[in-house]
Amino acid sequence: MKRIITILTVLTLLLSLTTGCWNRRELNELAITLAMGLDLTKDGKYLVTAQVVNPSEIAGDKGGGGGDSPVVIYQEKGETVFEAIRKMTKESPRKIYPSHLRMLIIGESLAKKGIGKPLDLLSRDWELRSDFYVAVSKGVRAEEVLKVPTSLEKTPANKMFDNLEVSAEAWSATSAVMLDELITDMVSPGKQPVLTGITADIKGDKRTTLSKQNVELIDTPAKIYFNQLAVFKKDKLIGWLNENQSKTYNIITNKEVSTVVNIPCPDGGKAVYQVTKSDSKVKGKIRNGRPEIDINIQVEGNVGEVECKVDLSKQETIDMLEKSYEKEKKEILVKSVKQIQEKYKVDIFGFGDAIHRTDPKAWSKLKKDWDKNFEDLKVNIQLNGEIRRVGTIGNSFLNDIK
Amino acid sequence: MNFFKKKKKEKKISFEQAQTDKGNHTDLLLKDLNKNIENIKLLVGNSSDIVVREFQIDLPQSIKACIFYTDGLVDTNSIQNFIMESLLSSDHAEKTRTITSKHDVLSFLKEHILKVGDIQEVTSFRSLLTPLLSGDVILLLDGCTQGLKIGMRGGKDRGVTEVTTETVVRGPKEGFTENLRTNTALIRRRIKTPKLWLETKKIGKETQTDVGIMYINGIVNDEVLKEVHERLDRIDIDGILESGYIEEMIQDETYSPFPTVYYSERPDVIAAELLEGKIAILVDGTPIVLVVPALFVSFIQSPEDYYQRADISTMIRLVRFLSIFIALLAPSLYIAITTFHAEMLPTGLLISLAAQREGVPFPAFIEALMMETAFEILREAGLRMPKAIGSAISIVGTLVIGTAAVEAGIVSAAMVIVVAMTAISSFVLPAFTLSMSIRMLRFPMMVLAASFGLFGIFVGFIALVLHLCTLRSFGVPYMSPMGPHIREDMKDTFFRVPRWAMVSRPRLISQRNNRRENVQAPKPQKEGNE
Repeated sequence: MKRIITILTVLTLLLSLTTGCWNRRELNELAITLAMGLDLTKDGKYLVTAQVVNPSEIAGDKGGGGGDSPVVIYQEKGETVFEAIRKMTKESPRKIYPSHLRMLIIGESLAKKGIGKPLDLLSRDWELRSDFYVAVSKGVRAEEVLKVPTSLEKTPANKMFDNLEVSAEAWSATSAVMLDELITDMVSPGKQPVLTGITADIKGDKRTTLSKQNVELIDTPAKIYFNQLAVFKKDKLIGWLNENQSKTYNIITNKEVSTVVNIPCPDGGKAVYQVTKSDSKVKGKIRNGRPEIDINIQVEGNVGEVECKVDLSKQETIDMLEKSYEKEKKEILVKSVKQIQEKYKVDIFGFGDAIHRTDPKAWSKLKKDWDKNFEDLKVNIQLNGEIRRVGTIGNSFLNDIK
Repeated sequence: MNFFKKKKKEKKISFEQAQTDKGNHTDLLLKDLNKNIENIKLLVGNSSDIVVREFQIDLPQSIKACIFYTDGLVDTNSIQNFIMESLLSSDHAEKTRTITSKHDVLSFLKEHILKVGDIQEVTSFRSLLTPLLSGDVILLLDGCTQGLKIGMRGGKDRGVTEVTTETVVRGPKEGFTENLRTNTALIRRRIKTPKLWLETKKIGKETQTDVGIMYINGIVNDEVLKEVHERLDRIDIDGILESGYIEEMIQDETYSPFPTVYYSERPDVIAAELLEGKIAILVDGTPIVLVVPALFVSFIQSPEDYYQRADISTMIRLVRFLSIFIALLAPSLYIAITTFHAEMLPTGLLISLAAQREGVPFPAFIEALMMETAFEILREAGLRMPKAIGSAISIVGTLVIGTAAVEAGIVSAAMVIVVAMTAISSFVLPAFTLSMSIRMLRFPMMVLAASFGLFGIFVGFIALVLHLCTLRSFGVPYMSPMGPHIREDMKDTFFRVPRWAMVSRPRLISQRNNRRENVQAPKPQKEGNE
């Protein structure tokens, strides 16, 4: 008995030695990559750009904050993305650790060629969480976007991440799309993916503007900002949506959280309708053998700003403003949907999915040639806007200025 | 090994020979007083603290008599007043007419002269030696083969003082002392039912320590009581100096980090346990009283839980459960998450932790091990060191393992927080034994975490739970009422329900008489209701 116990103990102890802590990595052995850029080089290879944080530069005063840049860029070319990432260890003292990836920027040229292949690694690798946002760099290369220093948020990746979230929430003309959502849309026949666009605007000499000096200026010469939505057909970029189209996309796909809409007053001037809640129901149906889409949108909001003389204390005025908003908004929606149908001919709204849900049999017939059907699809939009509050003052003081 | 065995045997033989030689081949008292005195002196090796006082009792005819007692263990004043005084005064001549034989003298003394409560007759050397050495007075008469054992225990005692280990804010403050008699009295004072029974045994061949077994007849489980007796009778040891000796001899499982015998130095705790149907084992010479059977949850319950309001007690008890987990797992979770599962941390926290680790030369495991070891050393030093320099240790401790280590870049600041949190959590448990087991188990958990990550922690934890579920304390499953699940008993496990809802006694402990009282929830009396 004693012998067995001794042997077991020794074996257990030896066992824990043999593991060698096989995938143990200390925190200071990680190159924490918060943003990654994918570009296409001229010779058809991938150019992978990794933005790695320098922790001691970001977290507080420990180590003195020696004035180093908060992030470091590592770049490598490769036939495949994985190859390029592993190659980075030629330059990086630590292995790229992408678990905390927050932004993936895809270069426009690569997006046009197709993003499916390079995304396989990112969805397959177990080190990656799929909760990072994907964006397409518009007019610039992804690497350029990643090289811009930012202020307020020291890490550019965090800046982009927060920026996108705030903007998608408060303005609703950008779309925060995560990897799994993107892949779902790519494979779905009834919905095509849309990604937000990101642009870098670099003025002046690159050597100074892309250095820390950039953030030392109040009006930074180099900026990155989100702009427009990229429309994809399967995994290929085919065009960009303008602001109204982008907003339309967000409203119809129920992504709108809050935004503001300018509405005209009856006697000239403008008022602002602030959307606080928007709920759209998309229903597909087959009428007379033709597919049709009914969209019912319920919007709640406040009067955000009044730049004209109206009497807000009267119910009629409120009703009038509601009507005005509904008319204004509906016009934009109808117009934008039409434009998208005609110009891009891809179903980014998921109308196909809606028909699939209501009439799966009809869908199986329509599916094959959906893009064609989408083009001629009849879309009925119902919009109902309500005003709940008028803010902290009643009638505008403008009324009293004589 | 062989060598030692032989030697032991030889010793035993020679000791027995000496016993019999000195006892003159017979254990019984002799008629000749001088021979008896001689014998006793021989048996105790003429020890100087054994007082032998010879004198004459003036009954009509004077009789030679002698009293023996151990100096320091007896109440000298009482001997003076109630034995010597009465024996040596001559005004009892009137009553002596009844005396016809020497034996009558003895019963006459017992019945008429000695003004003492506890008197028993003894006939053999063996039966008089232990009382003599426990503080009784032995009276021998010439020409009489019997003697009297007179209870005169006294001597210096620590007295009842406030408990130091199980402190409460609300509740009685007094604690047990080293004196068995005082301790039984402290319990009796709380439970006045005649059903509170006390049985005593002498355990320890040389120390002859008094061990009391206390229980409430009718509530106690007789099977468990029988088992306690059997296990205590099985003990064959030369000395019992503390109840820990007994605990180790009667506990169910030696190779377990968890204690299967509960102890307390608070009379109110012991009284409460007795009322639940448990059995208390009191040992002379220690204020620590053992309680069996012990359940895992009793180590997490503090007497104050029952003195405070129920809702507050419940919250505090949940805090205690939480702190067990912190004390056991905090360092290992830190190691596992930072070295294997960094993706689990929020990005901001990860960067901040990574920044703290910049320049730390050791892996997180070594770092944690160093800090935990340093803490254990400090804790032990604080305990063993003379109280006067205790404050010095705490200053050095905080400076060394706190600030300095971080500033020197040997450990990261987060690790200091984790270790400090663990240390404080381990002091939350009311029972010191369990908190020691948890402190000890922390280290294997850290090793598992360092080699297998969270997976290792889970395997270790599951093994721990399995082990806990196999344990039994005197036949009662250790983890009850959680495993096996007993619904009625859950009222006093994670929660403490109001007093009036504690209707039944713990099911597995008290088999009979399970209902406490028919108590009802208090509510305002409605007018005209009665």
